Amino acid sequence: MNNEIAEQIKGMLVERLRIPADELEYDSELFGEDIGLDSIDSIEIIVGIENLFGVDLSGSGATREDFRSIETLTAFVEAHKEG
Amino acid sequence: MLNEKRCVITGLGLVCAIGDNVDECFDAALNGKSGIADAKSFDTTECYSHKGAEVRLSDEELAGGKYDRTTALGIKAAGEAIKDAGIDMDSEVASEIGVLLGSCIAGAACVEKYYKQKAKGEKGDISNLKAMPASVIAGNVADYYNAGGITANIVNACAAGTLSLSLAIDLIRGGKGEIFLAGGCDSFSSLAYSGFHALRALAPSDCSPFNHSDGITLGEGAGVLVVESYEHAVKRGARIYCDVLGSGVSSDAYHITAPRPDGEGQMNVITRAVKNSGLKFSDIDYVNAHGTGTAKNDESEFLSLKTLFKGSKDLYVSSTKSMTGHCLGAAGAIEAVFTVKALVEGKLPPTTGYSEEDLKVLEEKSGSINFIANKPVTKDVNYVMSNSFAFGGNNASIVFAKDPNVLNLTCPKQSLYVTGIGMVNGEYNEEKGDYIANLDTDLFKAYGVKSAFLRKLDRLSQLQLLSGIRALEDAGITVNEENEGVIGICIGTNDGPMTEIANFQKGIIRDGIEKGSAFAFPNTVYNAAGGYLSIATGIKGYNVTIANGFQSGIQSVCAAAGAIMFGYESIMLASGTDECTDIDDEIFSDLGFTGEGKMTLGEGSVTCVIEKDSSAAERGAKRYAKIAGFSSTRDTSGDRSDNSRMSEKALIRALENVLEEGGMKASDVKCIYGFGNGIESIDKFEMDVYKKFFGDDIEVKLIKKEYGEARAASSSLQFAMLAKDIHEGRLETGIAVSYGTSALYTAVLLTRA
Repeated sequence: MNNEIAEQIKGMLVERLRIPADELEYDSELFGEDIGLDSIDSIEIIVGIENLFGVDLSGSGATREDFRSIETLTAFVEAHKEG
Repeated sequence: MLNEKRCVITGLGLVCAIGDNVDECFDAALNGKSGIADAKSFDTTECYSHKGAEVRLSDEELAGGKYDRTTALGIKAAGEAIKDAGIDMDSEVASEIGVLLGSCIAGAACVEKYYKQKAKGEKGDISNLKAMPASVIAGNVADYYNAGGITANIVNACAAGTLSLSLAIDLIRGGKGEIFLAGGCDSFSSLAYSGFHALRALAPSDCSPFNHSDGITLGEGAGVLVVESYEHAVKRGARIYCDVLGSGVSSDAYHITAPRPDGEGQMNVITRAVKNSGLKFSDIDYVNAHGTGTAKNDESEFLSLKTLFKGSKDLYVSSTKSMTGHCLGAAGAIEAVFTVKALVEGKLPPTTGYSEEDLKVLEEKSGSINFIANKPVTKDVNYVMSNSFAFGGNNASIVFAKDPNVLNLTCPKQSLYVTGIGMVNGEYNEEKGDYIANLDTDLFKAYGVKSAFLRKLDRLSQLQLLSGIRALEDAGITVNEENEGVIGICIGTNDGPMTEIANFQKGIIRDGIEKGSAFAFPNTVYNAAGGYLSIATGIKGYNVTIANGFQSGIQSVCAAAGAIMFGYESIMLASGTDECTDIDDEIFSDLGFTGEGKMTLGEGSVTCVIEKDSSAAERGAKRYAKIAGFSSTRDTSGDRSDNSRMSEKALIRALENVLEEGGMKASDVKCIYGFGNGIESIDKFEMDVYKKFFGDDIEVKLIKKEYGEARAASSSLQFAMLAKDIHEGRLETGIAVSYGTSALYTAVLLTRA
């Protein structure tokens, strides 16, 4: 896993969604019991990722599984990032 | 018996994208003319949607461009309603007229102008700053027309317009007024456009409620109705359009933006309105639906209507938003005007935009409901209903009728008590120079509030949540399935979520309208705090937020008392809440209110549990004090172009009213919890009035010396401290008093329980 990307995604989640940094691990289940995100948060994640990496999650066919954790989001960004 | 007073509609005023007055708008609605076009107020090039339903009149053409556009639209519709009702605003009647207006985005247009100036490094225009909060709207409209009755701004987002009408009939039936201008107003704004865009809730093209349901189209406008007691209308020889029967207000306790998919909250509110009106579901002939055009709204609303009205053979339903757009806080009021016109003229407006193919689908899904698509229906109707559902899970419903019917509002008069107090107060912070509250996460965790929930809450909502759950705990109330429907919430605030509003607006000025935050937007509505409180606690009853100056915290007690008096609820949480952030510091400093020799800002939230005698007795509740009298007063004496004026006459009338209601004399009162805040002119005015009214020996306690000017939280704190003093034997009786803009005062008299 690309730690640099993961750390940027984590920073974005902490800033945009006010998730306490100390409760957020790379493998925390974002939409499950751990963090409890919902549909509004997923929209915010799409915008955050696009701003950071220019990757359009909704347009690139990201699935529910890709939103599962910082790890899965990082893998998706790595696979779809240009250059 | 209480509450049987007949309420009637005697005047109508309307402005929206399909017309500049009632006749133009109703003709256009019947003819299916849509006001939706490409938005002109701001550049939407980078957005996925470009549509809006904007009013044709420019700022200059609305009250001479001297007001924020939301207020100016309110002035326009109010003017038509006054004229239509045949009221001479220089006559004695004008002094009685109260103004109750709903708004969602309030002075968002001025927020944008102000922070655009600031972003350029310029000094912000003070007139824009003064017009930003919802708190000033009703007072400014009242002052404009010399209306001297009380004011309130109802800020429950998209249900606000309907809620203000509901409050008007409650005040009339509760003996607190005879005639009101009630409705709502909201302007088109980049704030709302960007927010709904971020939520992907804007329709890509013209909205199509109950049809394609691919989102809303935003609109703007205002609707104002003259709501009057029947006796008052007859006495002045007014033409009567129709009766207003009952209303309903409820809360979903589910999600901050989405309605409950099972429609429970919506069905509760419709049921409340029908029952309070003394009707059966099958009596309702026409429903002007909320019908926004989002999939979530349309699905749950269709389900609610089909479930409740399954026994109706001849029910007609439409949503006029396909033509007016969604006018947010004005929506309920605009639709109330259409509903009244439909009743009086026997012509029901359609929902437009259905193709032949769409009509086939509609017929299948609407079942026994006659859904009015594309063309109006001519039909003699007797009982009509208008529904509004909002962010925060707030629902409101109201019934208009051709006859007075026999209402189902009678409830035995009962004494009301303060049975719980929850406080969050600030402590002096040397660094900031303000009184700041402690909101450590652990304080919430102690009550089982999960961080996944807490992180969504802005500071105002956190303050509100903490005082609310502390008050429930202090009162020994656990919300459960048995009592969730008989507990309600009433919140007062001066500035609401101004920090969230300002930061959202600053963000889109910097990054573009298309880059608004979906996460932040829900917290920019004034009733988010009340919504989160209901979600966290499970309270499903009455839910209103009033933004009306510093006195809002005490006014919330009055509104809470009303909700119990009408049998809507047994228990109400009455709160006052305001935050103090860097944004507030900047605003009050720019206004020139803070600094050496002036006021020091504070923040906090105080929630009091107000409960009726029988409920308190059944629970064996602790009783702090008894509410012996409450009153709001206002007048237009002095220079009414100055909304920071004070009125000795109005303040004295509030004191006289509470004493009369409590059967007491001025000499019985030894202590006042006053509103003095360190601004010399205000403090001197207050002391002079009390000394004149009560004599030199009156003790005046000024809590703002210890906690700062926490605005609505301060007025709630005055009330709560008085209740505690009485409970702990330091006082027999006392009055808490506060003030708002445009010479508004509210007083509550407390005595031993």
